[in-house]
Amino acid sequence: MKKFWALFFIFWPVVALYVCWIAPSRGWWFPSKPMSSLGHQIDGLFYLILFIVALTFIATQAVMGYALWRGATKKSTEKAMFSHGSHKLEIIWTIVPSFILVFISLTQLEVLANIRVISKFPDEARRAPIAEVMARQFEWRIRYPKPGTTLATEAQSGDLYYVNELHVPVSQPVMVNLRTQDVQHAFFSPKLRVKQDAVPGLIIPIWFEVEKAGEYELVCAELCGWGHYKMKARIVAGSEASVQKYMTDLEAAQNEDGVADAPAETEE
Amino acid sequence: MGGFLLASVVLRRAEVLGMSLTPSLNKLSWVGLLAVFAATGCSNNDSSFVYSERTTSLMPEAQDGIPGEADDAPGVLGVKQLLDDRFGNPQNLKAWLKLPVDFGGTQASVSEIVTENDQFKVKLAVEEGVALPEAPKALEFITGECVGETIAVSGWDAETGEAVLASAPTKQPAAGDLCALDGGGVMRSGRVLYMRHCSHCHGTAGDGHGPTAEYLNPRPRDYRHGVFKFTSTNDMSKVSRDDLARVLRYGIPGTYMPSFLLLTDAELHAIVEYVRFLSLRGEYERKLVNELAGDYSAKAAQSRVADGENRTEIVAELREFLAADLPDTATELGDELAEQWSVANTPEALIIPSVARVPDSPESRRRGRELYLSKTLNCADCHGVDGAGNGPQTIAFEKNPITNEMYNEPGLHDVWDNLNQPRNLQTGIYRGGRRPIDLFGRIHAGIKGSRMPSFKNTPHEEIWHIVNYVLSIPFESEPGATGVAAPVSAPVAAAVAP
Repeated sequence: MKKFWALFFIFWPVVALYVCWIAPSRGWWFPSKPMSSLGHQIDGLFYLILFIVALTFIATQAVMGYALWRGATKKSTEKAMFSHGSHKLEIIWTIVPSFILVFISLTQLEVLANIRVISKFPDEARRAPIAEVMARQFEWRIRYPKPGTTLATEAQSGDLYYVNELHVPVSQPVMVNLRTQDVQHAFFSPKLRVKQDAVPGLIIPIWFEVEKAGEYELVCAELCGWGHYKMKARIVAGSEASVQKYMTDLEAAQNEDGVADAPAETEE
Repeated sequence: MGGFLLASVVLRRAEVLGMSLTPSLNKLSWVGLLAVFAATGCSNNDSSFVYSERTTSLMPEAQDGIPGEADDAPGVLGVKQLLDDRFGNPQNLKAWLKLPVDFGGTQASVSEIVTENDQFKVKLAVEEGVALPEAPKALEFITGECVGETIAVSGWDAETGEAVLASAPTKQPAAGDLCALDGGGVMRSGRVLYMRHCSHCHGTAGDGHGPTAEYLNPRPRDYRHGVFKFTSTNDMSKVSRDDLARVLRYGIPGTYMPSFLLLTDAELHAIVEYVRFLSLRGEYERKLVNELAGDYSAKAAQSRVADGENRTEIVAELREFLAADLPDTATELGDELAEQWSVANTPEALIIPSVARVPDSPESRRRGRELYLSKTLNCADCHGVDGAGNGPQTIAFEKNPITNEMYNEPGLHDVWDNLNQPRNLQTGIYRGGRRPIDLFGRIHAGIKGSRMPSFKNTPHEEIWHIVNYVLSIPFESEPGATGVAAPVSAPVAAAVAP
């Protein structure tokens, strides 16, 4: 019976190991494959940690499995070894993890800088933010610069406005300025691996490069009030031409004067 | 709910007992638990539409009707009953045919009734241009003997419109009876969506008194006046379906109304119809009570008794009124509302400027500014000379037009009795939309329910000048820089990316 339990507790770490092994290829680790360039770097960090953790897990489980098996098979006359209070052991299990932590923190610096430090942003994104995303309870208000101009921090005459839908060109780095009108919100697009708090009083630039045209979820990831759950929008990524057409249509709709020769009403 | 709470307390008790005491006591507590369930039953979560405060301030007899006493004094219905008969409650919404509300489903009329081999069949005819549904699941009688009965459809021939009913109706339907196939779907989904997304502010009955409403300024709309502020219809018209859908889609910046852009068109349609239903119900209730409030409110009855009238006589008079006058009034009222709420969706109700927008230019803005300050339009009286929303009217005390009492605080009030200060035009936030046509409509039709009057007699070209001026206010180099083109400050993109 002792052997059974030893095998039983050795069996489960082996299953866990197998799961860790196949998780990345099966996409069990994340809700989807990353859809932005930064996403690959961020996922890389996660997998690095998964690797380190799995390795540590193998080592510790191997030791435990060995101890269990030894305990199950040893003769009853054999004496146990008492190792409590071993100075050497404590030094080892303090120094090894701290090396691992330092290693992780140094490795991730580059990716963190790519996400947060504006001088590391791709030039084309930094030069012309495509929109200002103003979070408020409980919606995302988008302000685009008037076509042909660049985005200013303050609203300009001719700026284009929309709500809960952000259009961005695909396959090129884009930057948006994130603000909030009231409380803290967080700009979170799971598939694009973008998550950034919006803080009252600050304009926080964020950038991402969508790899594939399509619609992506944008939700609020900071409990911002009773309507937090409603704060859902979509990011629509399309070709440069389609985004330009969208802006032209939006400009026409915003200048709608209700007279027949103007473009038909956009609403239902 | 109460039963559930109580039961969970007992349950927790049972765990404690089970751990520390003998099994027999543990068993006893389970018996206690069952007893609690038996006593309270499964709690009934039926909700109901609240009646307005004006309804509940009527004499009890006017609210609830008067039971019959003798042959010459038959029972009469009160306001509440009249209302419930026509609109139902949230669980059982009534498809009052008169309402211009899309309840969903296909309406058909019975053309022939066949009973053979224990099968009950009805042949249905629809109006021209209406398609028969492909596979209806249920049939509901709307008129005739079987009114209100819903029966499952077990067989269906889409060619001939012949439906085999799963069971025979309790009464005999007649040819010509109206029925609905799969009726009520839109309303039901509208109700569910409304409860999920809207009712916590706007309230179950659309009274603007949901649990979160208390914390909001401006207050959520109370639909029961049947008045909505931001419409594309003229000053005499109700709100259109498109207007409501627009507000749902894009929200109202400057207020707590968020955008519901991600809902599908079908979902938005269902919510719009449900809001129309609630508005019609509220307005109907309001106008019905108007007929009674003068003579038969609890207060009026009290003062009439104080003036020497006999209460029994007042009740007899009320009985007479409820029996003879009110039913006709109620019918007329229904017709009138149906007409108004239908007309609002026709092109005739839309505001269409007779001239295209005057191109924005310094001259146009200057002209707009002149008109803004002119004695005839007098925009500055409320909105202030610089458009900051601080005109002299904002510090004047005004009288409540209904009660004739002075409001406690200075400033302008809307029909909902909320302080409703004129918009600060310098902020660049446009609640009713920022398109030129939106601003044109605000000026042409006014803002319904608020003190913003209609300027429909102002030439359209002049309105466009004002629109151009108003749109330029947020970008003036200094407040009141009369119509001079505001230099657009150089883009400061660098500022955000140092």
